[in-house]
Amino acid sequence: MASVLLPVSLLLGALLLIPELFGDFVAYQIGLYLIYGIAAQGLGFIWGKTGVLPLGQALFFGVAAYLAASTLKADLPLVLTLAISGLVLCAIGGFAFLLATLIFRGRSESGPYFSLITLALAMIAEQIAGTATSITGGFNGMSGFASLGHLDPFGSYYYVIVGMSVGVSLLLFILNKLPVHLLARAVLDNEPRLQLLGFPTHVIKGAAFAFSALLAALAGGLFASHQGIVTPTSTGFALSAELLILTAVGGRFHVLGPLLGAVIIGWLSAELRDSFPYWELLMAFVFITVVLKAPGGIAEVCEKVLARFMPSASASRQASAIAAPSRTVQAPAKLKFHDVELKIGVVRILNGVSFETPASGVVSIIGPNGAGKTSVLNTITGNLRLTSGRITFGEDVISSRPVYKALNRGIARKLQVPSVFASFSVSENLTIASLAGRVTLADLFRFSTVRWRSSAISKVLNHPKVPLNRLLNEPVAHLSQGHRQFLEYAMTVAAEPALLLLDEPCAGLSPDETALMTELIKQYQETAQRLVIVIEHDMSIVEAISDKVLVLHLGQVLAFDDYSSIRTNPEVQAVYAGGTK
Amino acid sequence: MSTVLILNLAWQISTLALVALGLAIVFGQLRIMNMAHGEFVMLGAYAPFITSSLGLSPWLQVPVCLITVGSIALLMERSIIRHLYGRMFDSLLATWGIAILMREGVELFFGRGYQSVSPPVSGTVSILGTDYPAYRIVVICIILLGFTALYWWSKTSKIANKIKAMVGNPDLAQAVGINTARLSSGAFVFGCCCAGIAGLLLAPTIRIEPMMGLDYLIRSFFALVVGGLGSLEGLAIGTGVIAGTQTVLGAIASQTYGYLSVLTLSILFLWLKPNGVRSSSR
Repeated sequence: MASVLLPVSLLLGALLLIPELFGDFVAYQIGLYLIYGIAAQGLGFIWGKTGVLPLGQALFFGVAAYLAASTLKADLPLVLTLAISGLVLCAIGGFAFLLATLIFRGRSESGPYFSLITLALAMIAEQIAGTATSITGGFNGMSGFASLGHLDPFGSYYYVIVGMSVGVSLLLFILNKLPVHLLARAVLDNEPRLQLLGFPTHVIKGAAFAFSALLAALAGGLFASHQGIVTPTSTGFALSAELLILTAVGGRFHVLGPLLGAVIIGWLSAELRDSFPYWELLMAFVFITVVLKAPGGIAEVCEKVLARFMPSASASRQASAIAAPSRTVQAPAKLKFHDVELKIGVVRILNGVSFETPASGVVSIIGPNGAGKTSVLNTITGNLRLTSGRITFGEDVISSRPVYKALNRGIARKLQVPSVFASFSVSENLTIASLAGRVTLADLFRFSTVRWRSSAISKVLNHPKVPLNRLLNEPVAHLSQGHRQFLEYAMTVAAEPALLLLDEPCAGLSPDETALMTELIKQYQETAQRLVIVIEHDMSIVEAISDKVLVLHLGQVLAFDDYSSIRTNPEVQAVYAGGTK
Repeated sequence: MSTVLILNLAWQISTLALVALGLAIVFGQLRIMNMAHGEFVMLGAYAPFITSSLGLSPWLQVPVCLITVGSIALLMERSIIRHLYGRMFDSLLATWGIAILMREGVELFFGRGYQSVSPPVSGTVSILGTDYPAYRIVVICIILLGFTALYWWSKTSKIANKIKAMVGNPDLAQAVGINTARLSSGAFVFGCCCAGIAGLLLAPTIRIEPMMGLDYLIRSFFALVVGGLGSLEGLAIGTGVIAGTQTVLGAIASQTYGYLSVLTLSILFLWLKPNGVRSSSR
């Protein structure tokens, strides 16, 4: 907890000293920078963690400022004013959540589209604020209201701002310790993997955007009381651009970075803007340099300097906690393809694939390159939508559904190229996987959830030959291909799904490791009579683990039988021996 | 629908199509989200001021526009964009900074206020009983001719395939003999010049100021969202829908409503039809 309380109390102390040391006017100016800093912290949260970049944060800032101004104009009792402010914040957060989930639902890589839409929204808001003179006062702005609780903007109101600013920083530091923080960062790191682990990533992005909008709106509300006037510039493009610069230069990866950026740039700008005509040009240059060369901004530089003087305590290993029971479907069921066709553009990938697996056992899929093996898995998890036909698992139709729904239906998948969260440590990877299919919304806000370890993962880790136990604190980027295979395997079985899809799990493994992997797969299948589907090229592995073998060729099922029959099947031999089939 | 409305529609669609064409090449083909695209429109619109302040003949406006826009685009591509191929999000950030730089630079040179220029072709022509500015008719015809030529050329040229190959796999493209450095800067500069020429053509009909570019960036981007990337047909549909909606609603309600409906339309498209009406890639 010291890592949270120390910086926050230092911040509080420094801010409280400002009026004493520099007088009320400087405190008034710093108050404004802090307000921008709060909005920038929100931007830093969504941009630094999820990688989503909203370009129109001033929309929420401005709308909240206008609403605060009109509420203050009515001169209601303080409690009522605060209640209305709460409602406004909720409404703005809700709107932001809906907007982002809607845009990100369509596809995962809509980042630039989202940025442009938020930018357009801010520009429209500015236009409306400027033209709807009867409501907003037009370009002259809305003024003639007392500040919140009739506090003096040049005096005691400063302490309200300090309170909010410190409160927001504290909240952000706490969020950094919670599992939500892991999920938000995981979106940026490897969104497809997170979806396969059963998390609706568009909802995560929506929530992050709603949070950032909330902070922008909070800042806007504070701004109205502080300035005593709200004009269309508070909701438009220029402020949005300014917030982005503050966040980038200050440092989007650190809680205090955007706040630091807001105060430093705000102060420099006030000092230099009038005497130095190239100030804006200079800022643009600084921004470009930071974006290209030093994405961590000022905060990262400060951290490096601090780290030199205060060597950080070595990461202590916390005892893990037993994860909540898995809620994915675990009852064995049959997987059935009904005349499945898949076309992408003019390319026909699957041409009427039909088969039915037993409810438990290991099914291997073999076939020459381009036969459609991986595509079969892609259709099961929903990564590819069917052109026609359907796929059922037990009683449910599972084809053409969003990818994140697969896990809760009891389907987990390991990808062909090991797909893990590359910027995380091994234990963080395992934690995220342990949340899959188990975590509830409330769990995401408990500190203890960060230490969850699923029993299926523990089983893999505790196997004497599996190499991961020694590597828990290593960043995944340092892992060899083979170790990544085992890590991804452990993450895939974490939710104990009824159906395990493994795409070439033994690729790049040594003979010993291959034996270990097949042993793990067998063990997993036998403990609860589950179904495992493996794509494999190595016939000795296929022979060792398969109960049945599915042979695909040119997007069709060539044969589906046990290993010995497949081996003697003349058609299969023809395909593999390069015959004229 | 009155004749004026139809002519206005043709004017809006044709000019937007020219801006969007540039963005379609840079964003759709090179996969660079150029946030400074609108600023090239703005630069093009300032070309008449450059010629007049240098005391050059108005006939030199077109070459001056191409040289200014082209050289800035080339400089930008060689120094910054070149390192950002395949990193769309970083390109968005860097060009956002460049856009600020260009706006501030122009503001230092020409001042913040509105400027206007008079059209080189004055007077009106009478079409179907209504008088319409002759200059606009000329511009519509020029753009129409340009697109016809482009359509014909794109059917025979292999350059689109080369660009696709380069973006898909730069190393392999180089290995099969495509000069990727020249191709990428050529395509980028061409895209920016489309925007610049559009700015020059628009200049006599709008208020010119350093911030004007954003609006063009957003509208042409939405045209690509609706139309889909990768085909001239999609571009035509997209600009038709966006400029059409905005012009018609702007005429019967207000500009704000026009803008709002364009935005709503784009969000709906992203949600329900994320690849646009027409899409050859993917």
